[in-house]
Amino acid sequence: MLGWLSRQREKLLLRDDAYAFLFDRDRSGELVCIDTETTGLDPWVDDILSIAAVKIRGNTIVTSEKLELLVRPSLTDGTGGVTIHRLRPMDVAQGVEIREALDRLLRFIGGRPLVGYYLEFDINMINKYLLEWLGIKLPNKAIEVSRIYYYYKYNLDRLNSYPGRVIDLKFDTIMDELGLPLLSQHDAFNDALMTAMMYVKLQQILRS
Amino acid sequence: MPKSFNFSDPPFDCLTPAEQELVRSSLDIAFFAEGEQIIGTDVPSEHLYVVIKGYVEERDGEDVVAICGPDDVFDARGLVMGDASHNSFVVREEAICYVLPKSVVLDLTKANAAYGAYFYQDLSQKLSRLSERSRARELNWLMMARVRDAYIHPAYYVEATDTVRTAGREMRDRKVNALIVRNGARSGIVTGMNLTKALVLDEQPLTAPIGDFAHFDLVTVRADEFLYNALILMTRHSIRRVVVVDEDDQIIGTLDEIDLLSFLSSHSHLISVQLERAHTLDEMKAVSARMDELVASLHVQGVKIQFIADLVTELNRKLMAKLFHHLATPEIVENTCLVVMGSEGRGEQILRTDQDNGLILRDGVEIPGLEEFCGCFSQGLLEFGYPPCPGNVMVTNPEWTRPLSGFRQEIYQWIRKPSGPGNLNLAIFYDAIAVAGDASLLDTAKSYMFDLLADNDAFYAHFARTTEAFQTPLGLFFNLIVQRGDEGDMVDLKKGGIFPIVHGIRSLALQQRLKETGTIARIGRLRGQGIIDRALAEELIEAFNFMMGLRLKSRLARIAVRKPYDNLVNADDLSTVERDLLKDALYVVKRAKDLVRHHFHLGLF
Repeated sequence: MLGWLSRQREKLLLRDDAYAFLFDRDRSGELVCIDTETTGLDPWVDDILSIAAVKIRGNTIVTSEKLELLVRPSLTDGTGGVTIHRLRPMDVAQGVEIREALDRLLRFIGGRPLVGYYLEFDINMINKYLLEWLGIKLPNKAIEVSRIYYYYKYNLDRLNSYPGRVIDLKFDTIMDELGLPLLSQHDAFNDALMTAMMYVKLQQILRS
Repeated sequence: MPKSFNFSDPPFDCLTPAEQELVRSSLDIAFFAEGEQIIGTDVPSEHLYVVIKGYVEERDGEDVVAICGPDDVFDARGLVMGDASHNSFVVREEAICYVLPKSVVLDLTKANAAYGAYFYQDLSQKLSRLSERSRARELNWLMMARVRDAYIHPAYYVEATDTVRTAGREMRDRKVNALIVRNGARSGIVTGMNLTKALVLDEQPLTAPIGDFAHFDLVTVRADEFLYNALILMTRHSIRRVVVVDEDDQIIGTLDEIDLLSFLSSHSHLISVQLERAHTLDEMKAVSARMDELVASLHVQGVKIQFIADLVTELNRKLMAKLFHHLATPEIVENTCLVVMGSEGRGEQILRTDQDNGLILRDGVEIPGLEEFCGCFSQGLLEFGYPPCPGNVMVTNPEWTRPLSGFRQEIYQWIRKPSGPGNLNLAIFYDAIAVAGDASLLDTAKSYMFDLLADNDAFYAHFARTTEAFQTPLGLFFNLIVQRGDEGDMVDLKKGGIFPIVHGIRSLALQQRLKETGTIARIGRLRGQGIIDRALAEELIEAFNFMMGLRLKSRLARIAVRKPYDNLVNADDLSTVERDLLKDALYVVKRAKDLVRHHFHLGLF
């Protein structure tokens, strides 16, 4: 109820009705797993370099309908991301404007819930641009994979669990613990894909 | 992950970069829990799956017929057949799979023939696709040439009643060296050499009718036959020319040896010429020594195993006949029949393994010097590189060199008083073929054998039972069951695959009293009689050839490093395709065993 209310409030703030679909009730039953690569870790200073999103439909990761975008940074020279993501300025220069990237992202996700690993960071990053452009934040429901994993792990051997027990939530650890194939190449798409795998796998475990 | 999709395994290895991109962009990734049924038997499959992780069982009813592990593809067959009566696929161990929509697969099969071949296959087509690929890599295309590719002299006709003079002028005018002679409905051939002999040696008049010198027992070959078969025909009949016919047996023209040779200038022919000219033991030995070399070179060039086997068999028999005639006195040639048995008799011995031969003597004839001859013959073969037979099936063994009446007594014992050794001997003898001497002796012995075979089910069941003596190394957990050896994981091709086919087919053939000795020829006849259905017959032949080829490859590799060879192949040396095909072949072996078991009611006896 509160969620619905806050969404309606957001909708009022929307500056462009072309994006009203974001507030529509989702009927696809799908989720979208997203990941972004940025020039750094501070949403207020750093820029998005690439965005990847992939749909999850039941037990299937629909990689055939993926979104993979390189963004041309507008604020900085883009060198900040080189070491982490192996994106050279010349690679990034082939990207699209952030507005176009976000437009395609929004149309891709529609009203679907979002899935991600430390998703909050990605959403904050996106919201920075959205607020400036459309006056809203992403209204989609957000599902944090590491959180599902945490509850799964915590409850798995509840007898051994004690208050304050530390569960390793590093990306590679989760992949390993879930027995998923780790992809050597780290880019936005592969990270989104691996995150989606974590999600589907966790759903399967929790269902059984 | 579609970025790291493995395009190096079939059927994806034959896609162009653009097609690879299409596949990459069409792939989804699906998760399946243990026990989940991915493809049911009652609904046509809408996707092609490639396993990323985990294992999926292919089930035929309750039986697990195969396990698909990482990089394995399923269910190619069910996808394109589109019928509902296919095997089911159930997750054995939690699986992650690539999922490719049927529409993309079908589009690709239309656009890319090599890719399509993988799907519209039964085993036999899958195999020829493999050989096609190795052909592209290694094969001298000449080896695959057809008769029609070579120069065929057009057919010019004369009537049998025409004179020698007319024929001679016709040859000159047409610039040919052979004419087709028509005599009513029959056709014959006459060559320049025939004319020369008639005129010069027989001093016939120029007005003599040409029909008198023509040969009407034509040796013909189809235009779409492989040139190699024409070469085999020429070798077998010791002739320099064959008549080429179309599918309706209408004469098209003639193929001359010289033209064939200009096509096949490999040394296979040289060997047969060399053999033809060999007169001393040393010369024969030299020819024999080059035989392995010939096999290796034909194999490397990608020539089909069946052709290699045929050619080598032909050469082997010529060599033995040559040795026989070289050593035998006229009495021996007159009164005995040299037979080869076992794999040599079936024409399936590609590399020399061991001597399997015997001598049938005419009843009531005392042959001086026989024992000495047998010793020399066996010794000669030994020097040519044929080791002694471990079962002592050799002319030096009185058991296998005896008068016809002695063989008849033996055959009587084998059939009427079945025993283990008796069955073995009967099996060996059933495969016998005459190589030199009086072939009618063997014919008589075999007729006697066929006459004695009653419709005694228990006898055939007893005979056929050995088919099941060895387990086929295709298991439930991991497709290939291997034996751990010093040099790695080995698969015994003979026990596991080749022998069950050979003996199962032999049992069926014996019951039908088939005269053929070769396994493939027997399969053909059994198919004709409706004992084996068409699909199984084809798959059996391909599976058999594939395993023979695999064994040959492994043996040649052993020879190359000067090591003794056997029936084992190292599973680690097999490529993904070969493993896949071996699994398919062994699956066919299992089905053949089932057929034999049902046919002879082996469960009852």
